Amino acid sequence: MAGMCCGVVGEGETPAPIEPSSRTSRRRRMELLPSKFIADVAVPPVLKNGRKRQKLDLCPRSSPPLQLEKAAKTCLSSEAEGKVENNETKSESEEMSPTQALNFCRSTPSAEVVRECPKFGVTSVCGRRRDMEDAVSVFPSFCLQKTQMSDGYHFFGVFDGHGCSHVAARCRDRLHEILKEQVEGAGEAVEWKGTLERSFELMDEEVRERSGPLKSTWSCRCDLQTPQSDAVGSTAVVAIVTPEKIIVSNCGDSRAVLCRNGVAVPLSSDHKPDRPDELLRIEAAGGRVIYWDGARVLGVLAMSRAIGDSYLKPYVISEPEVTITDRTAEDECLIIASDGLWDVVSNETACGVARMCFRAQRPPSPPGSSHSDVAVGAVSKSSDKACSDASILLTKLALARHSTDNVSVVVVDLRRNNDQQSLGLEN
Amino acid sequence: MATDDQERCRCCFLKWMNLQQQELSELHQALTLQASNKNSENCLRQLAEKCIKHYQDYVNNRSQLARNDVSAFFAPAWCSNWENSLLWIAGCRPSQYIRLVYALNGIEIDAQLHEFLQGTRTGNLGELSPEQFHLIDILQSKTIRAEEKLTTQMASLQEDVADQPMVAITKGLSKIGEMNGELDRALDKHEQGMVGALEEADSLRLSTLKELMDILTSRQAVDFLTAAKKLQLCVHEWGKTRDERHGRGKLMIT
Repeated sequence: MAGMCCGVVGEGETPAPIEPSSRTSRRRRMELLPSKFIADVAVPPVLKNGRKRQKLDLCPRSSPPLQLEKAAKTCLSSEAEGKVENNETKSESEEMSPTQALNFCRSTPSAEVVRECPKFGVTSVCGRRRDMEDAVSVFPSFCLQKTQMSDGYHFFGVFDGHGCSHVAARCRDRLHEILKEQVEGAGEAVEWKGTLERSFELMDEEVRERSGPLKSTWSCRCDLQTPQSDAVGSTAVVAIVTPEKIIVSNCGDSRAVLCRNGVAVPLSSDHKPDRPDELLRIEAAGGRVIYWDGARVLGVLAMSRAIGDSYLKPYVISEPEVTITDRTAEDECLIIASDGLWDVVSNETACGVARMCFRAQRPPSPPGSSHSDVAVGAVSKSSDKACSDASILLTKLALARHSTDNVSVVVVDLRRNNDQQSLGLEN
Repeated sequence: MATDDQERCRCCFLKWMNLQQQELSELHQALTLQASNKNSENCLRQLAEKCIKHYQDYVNNRSQLARNDVSAFFAPAWCSNWENSLLWIAGCRPSQYIRLVYALNGIEIDAQLHEFLQGTRTGNLGELSPEQFHLIDILQSKTIRAEEKLTTQMASLQEDVADQPMVAITKGLSKIGEMNGELDRALDKHEQGMVGALEEADSLRLSTLKELMDILTSRQAVDFLTAAKKLQLCVHEWGKTRDERHGRGKLMIT
């Protein structure tokens, strides 16, 4: 039953839980609905009408690209679904679709708990800008084939494009695949720092050379038929969550923050041109940082590292900084977001908001007897809602504080054995 | 004849603005009754629908009048210069509706965040549900794409003035400003294009508003309309005041 949502496609698994009560069974049915829907839409893995959308692949085995808007339905209540359907058929979007509000639900068999993909929520909106240049990708168990171990590697990435959306879109579509190849090429124990550095380098080369398999027909502002669009790039912050560790690889000014026991622990450091070590590096390479509406490399780019932007090489580099953090029992969640959030919301506030969302969603009175199926069901469902609520609330807060950029937020629930923990807290 | 057209257009606008004032009082009243539980959800929905119906009527009326004198709507003499400088194809940008939703929602969140972080408030912060938030974002990108398309269309219409047949006709004229049948036909044809742009822009404004009403709850819809109408009336008045400060306006605007 591992993978009620993501394993359905091509596996023919039929989850058949024994329902202890009608209330739970209704809840289960609501959970199952979206997974069936995903299976339906995923079979012909072709984007409808050639539409290019922000998508999120929930099916690691067969990996057909899923339109995120479809996937996003997993978080919508059944009453609301009809409405979405209507709206979707009416909309004729060609460019990236903006919203992703995704909620990932699956049951939690306790024996498999460490390998399970943590629950997560994704929100990504255009906000006050007129172009959507952010992209988000989430790939649970992104490299399955290799070993039993790699079953537990989960990929979360946020990419904030500048100049146009196509570099960010390319990172969303390709970076996890490149990383997967690198991980599979490595030995039994993955050396994450080197592997991620190499993957970012390859990603950058692919963007610059426009090589590699094209997944979808591009449609963006800057016509890709023109010889080069050098002045286009993207930030990339990628978090690999394994059963023991959180590996964050960052290039640019998007950010990953760990919420640990109520404390905000940044797992990446923004690459700004006026960061002292970055300034030294740029100047050593012969570049200059000019203050023109903030510190900018050559007076142009307001970040010191990025994927793409070949016209600013070698001052702007694609080499990421990698941090490896051991997971602890105190870890609550990981927040990965573009600067549309971080420009107006502090790390501490973001963690506070996510925490309160988790707390608000705790079941009101878990049965004291034991963690019966009812309790597990309630907790696992509400926890998903909590992640989704947190990502949406953070996005709303960013807009409320007048963020002028696109806002993309991923919240990953890192609490282990949710059911037990929340039961413990109630006692 | 020309003054008649102008007068009819002005009347249409003034009637519309009076109606806005009237609707605003109705909306306020409905919200007050709702607060004291004397008004049903259904009443609010009906009121919102009535407002949209009025807008539809205004759009239809405008379209009829524009067939005679379209430029009156692109640079209305009954609005201040300041207000006119904000116009997008003879009206507001439909994407402004979404900005207004975000702004209204933002005011609530800021006011509630502290309580929420203290744990004294739970539930749906900032009223818009995740589903609504998602739908509004889809509507926004759709609206912006439609706006861009119309903007391009408008750009073509403006460029056309510096192209054939106007240029060839101008070259053949012996006196500046001279008119002839050929020129009149060319300009009439150009105005038809402008009427088309106006109608499409109005229909985008209307459809965006209708879709937004479908996404919002009755209460939210009434809140939104109240804010939108108040803002519209204010913008009209602010424009007069600001124009007067620059020594413009008093005579022209009634």
